[in-house]
Amino acid sequence: MDAVDDLVTLLPELILSALVLVVITVDLFLSRPNKWLLTPLTVAGLILAGAALIPVWGTNETVYDGFYVVDDLSLFFKGATIVIGIFSALFAPAYLVSRRLPLGEFNAMLLFALIGMCVLASSSDLITLFVGLELMVMPGYLLTGFHKTDRYSNEGGLKYFLLGSFASAILLFGVAWTYGLTGTTSVVGIAAALEGQMSGALLVAIAFLTVGGTFKIAAVPFHYWTPDAYQGAPTPITGFLSVGPKLGAFALLVRVFAEALAPLRADWLGVFLVLTVLTMTVGNVIALTQVNVKRMLAYSSIAHTGYIMAGLAAYAAAPTRELAQRGIESILFYVLGYGVMNIAAFAVVGMLQRDQSRFGGLNSFAGLASRAPARAAAMTILLLSLTGIPPTVGFFAKLYVLLATVDAGLQWLAVVIVLNAALAAYYYLRVIVTMYMRDAESEPAPIDGSPLGSVALALSVVGVVALGLFPGPILDLLRASAASIF
Amino acid sequence: MSDLPVLSLIVFTPLVGALLLLFVPGNAHRLIRWIALLASLASFGFSLALLGYDPAGAEFQFREELPWIPAFGMSYILGVDGISVVLVILTTLLSVVSIFYSWDPITTRVKEYYATMLLLMVGMLGVFVSLDLFLFYVFWEISLIPMYLVIGIWGGPRRVYATVKFVIYTLVGSLLMLVAILAVAIAHGSETGTFTFAYEQLRGFGYAESLQGLAFVAFFLAFAIKVPMWPLHTWLPDAHVEAPTAGSIILAGVLLKLGGYGFLRYSIPLLPDASVAFAPIIIGLAVIAIIYGALVAMVQPDLKKLVAYSSVSHMGFVMLGAFVFNQQGLAGAVFQMVSHGITTGALFLLVGIIYEQTHDRTIAHMGGLNARLPHYAAIFGLFTFASIGLPGLSGFVGEFLVVLGAFRYSGIVAALAMLVVIVGAVYMLWMFQRVFFTVPSGWMRAPWPRLRDMSRNEWLSLAPLIILVVALGVWPAPVLDMIAAPVDRIVEAASGAQGLTSLSWPWMGR
Repeated sequence: MDAVDDLVTLLPELILSALVLVVITVDLFLSRPNKWLLTPLTVAGLILAGAALIPVWGTNETVYDGFYVVDDLSLFFKGATIVIGIFSALFAPAYLVSRRLPLGEFNAMLLFALIGMCVLASSSDLITLFVGLELMVMPGYLLTGFHKTDRYSNEGGLKYFLLGSFASAILLFGVAWTYGLTGTTSVVGIAAALEGQMSGALLVAIAFLTVGGTFKIAAVPFHYWTPDAYQGAPTPITGFLSVGPKLGAFALLVRVFAEALAPLRADWLGVFLVLTVLTMTVGNVIALTQVNVKRMLAYSSIAHTGYIMAGLAAYAAAPTRELAQRGIESILFYVLGYGVMNIAAFAVVGMLQRDQSRFGGLNSFAGLASRAPARAAAMTILLLSLTGIPPTVGFFAKLYVLLATVDAGLQWLAVVIVLNAALAAYYYLRVIVTMYMRDAESEPAPIDGSPLGSVALALSVVGVVALGLFPGPILDLLRASAASIF
Repeated sequence: MSDLPVLSLIVFTPLVGALLLLFVPGNAHRLIRWIALLASLASFGFSLALLGYDPAGAEFQFREELPWIPAFGMSYILGVDGISVVLVILTTLLSVVSIFYSWDPITTRVKEYYATMLLLMVGMLGVFVSLDLFLFYVFWEISLIPMYLVIGIWGGPRRVYATVKFVIYTLVGSLLMLVAILAVAIAHGSETGTFTFAYEQLRGFGYAESLQGLAFVAFFLAFAIKVPMWPLHTWLPDAHVEAPTAGSIILAGVLLKLGGYGFLRYSIPLLPDASVAFAPIIIGLAVIAIIYGALVAMVQPDLKKLVAYSSVSHMGFVMLGAFVFNQQGLAGAVFQMVSHGITTGALFLLVGIIYEQTHDRTIAHMGGLNARLPHYAAIFGLFTFASIGLPGLSGFVGEFLVVLGAFRYSGIVAALAMLVVIVGAVYMLWMFQRVFFTVPSGWMRAPWPRLRDMSRNEWLSLAPLIILVVALGVWPAPVLDMIAAPVDRIVEAASGAQGLTSLSWPWMGR
């Protein structure tokens, strides 16, 4: 296949790259009152990029000498990336503009991160993988510190940057060891070379890859950057950071652990089981003690990471190929569902922060049900979804993970997951209690009611319920996607 | 039988009502109440069609079946047998009663209140008619959240504590049940090659012993918390005391039955060996619940808490009847569920009537109400006697059958249960005496002139319950005929069971 044909399969990434340039250029020529036009522009571009995914569905081919793969798995990740991008672009403007933060730069950074996620999802070589990863996390560092005049934003950005660079270095070191041991950086090549192999040196490589990878998904005990970064970042950006880079990092984990290191899965399973249980339990227990909703959602995102990791553990423990595939499917479904519900939940927190002195404390939710019934109802559905109550996407996602773990023979892990879910119910319900069962403060903060945010919120709530009730169509896509790496 | 999807109509008419409410302005209270009432009445009307259930016909009738998520073998299968029929009608009836009763007492957030009550109906009815374990679980969870909101928003002073306790308790049990459901479906799927959640296919399959034991414990936790069985009952008094009257009616009348129904529909037929093996423990817990509930009820200073603890005792009878595995016991258990729903629902309603006027439920603060409220006292007396189990009223039939069944199992168990019927008479009559006879307390003098006897709405809400409690007491045959065949099937499932070799009881002589 020649280079021109290869380009066609890269169309979504190319559209996104062109979009970045367009956004930056247009931004120069728009006067301040017209900056909002950048949002529809970005969203339109994202939809176009999403449409470009459709013709390549089912191609499943490796291009550029094995550096880049366009298989259904990558396309599913890219689709989810674009969905997350659209919601992020819609939720952010009201919050950013009211704080006089530049919208053009935000959109550009967001798009860069999205491109990084797409590259990550498509990488069939550890070098591409690393490039994609850095392209994804660099804008993340910048976005965290996006509120230049805010102390917490700066602190969060700096912490994220320092620890993130450190973890990237560790990951890179793991890549180097793997290359040294196998003589290749190709994912398929590594898998072939590792068949039936195990040595002390390999263990070191796996250890480095595990630490680097689990840092990026914010698994315990590599999660310390998360609460500060999430709390410091402007709230809608936190929404993006809690799902976008997480999706990318799980794409990385799938590529590295479920593809490259697949032959050694019995060896890395144990570590992942420990990390999975630790992550969900520690995340939930700390979230219980939080009185700030933004920080609470940050810790809860750690717990959700744990649930998703259980899917990877199920993959590794599964006795048959079919059941292993179910583990991967559960990761994909959870990442998508979690993406939609968590961005929206953070967005609601952001809407209550119109007054800049607000930090997303629980009391800003008091009496929301009578002040803004529609928003309170939307938040209730999102929180129920995060808890995992049917008929929402959060429930079905959890069910999928449970199904995968029980199928793989990890019944005890399923029990740990549901006990954690019950624990999490306590702090999610506390927000509902505050909204519906407590009276508003004497001088409640104003609520942001921009139409763009409202539409996006309505869309995500509809999505959360619709995907929970009728996940059928997505399931077919999922199965095809997960099948493409086996 | 008609081709109308009767069951779907029963379940989803309230949902339509709730959705309609979204488009009604929040201050149009009258319209809101009418919409809610009509929606629940329509659902009740549809549920009467189930009386056409043919006890001699197929096991599950009015079946509906649609694929839902075929990739996972989840389908939308509805169907009812005799047990479901009586419980569905009980549910729709009590829902109408509680929605109608709420007409005057509920004045804040009226729209949200009725929407929540209608959603609650959807969840409860769905549980009783589902024949797919996954669908059942979805409805089971759906019924949880509205009750959480009802207690938490419209409840008493300690409502937040009570409702969070209620929801966490219930959620722990039901989430474990979800794992058990998945494990059962997967075990069946890997053995037969068809992965399905359909109840009729999963039932009667010989699951491995270890799975049966563990899954039974998970199911047991979910259902026993709901019933509630001692020692998992501690959420119940709190929830009842804080819940608004209509919430209590539904909680006692229907939600507790979800647990009892779960045992009869799922635990025993799906996992018969484990059920037989665990039966002695459950019977022991049931007897403790019967005695404990009655004794604790005796010393309650709060009228509502007294009724709540009496529920623990009465639901103990249900559990006892269910796990002695004979026709009398099981039929008694089902009948007791229906009777308890009517009687306790009515008692909570009656407690609500006095509470609305005095805002106090302390028994010591009452006294002499008979002089001021003769009608109220008469009706309260009727349900007091029904609760005690006076022959001629519905409470008698259920308890008598359960004790009969228990006697066939063990004389000592039956004797203990029978003794508690006497204790039941003690606490109910003593309460009645302190509330209605003697002289009015000093406290009562302040609200005394404002007290009014039963209003027209209160009469109308109670009328169906009064008729039923007498009718079923005198002539229980329609209900007993309806549930005879399903009860036989449960007995059959249990009698063929082997028990678990890892769990045998020395005193059982096995």
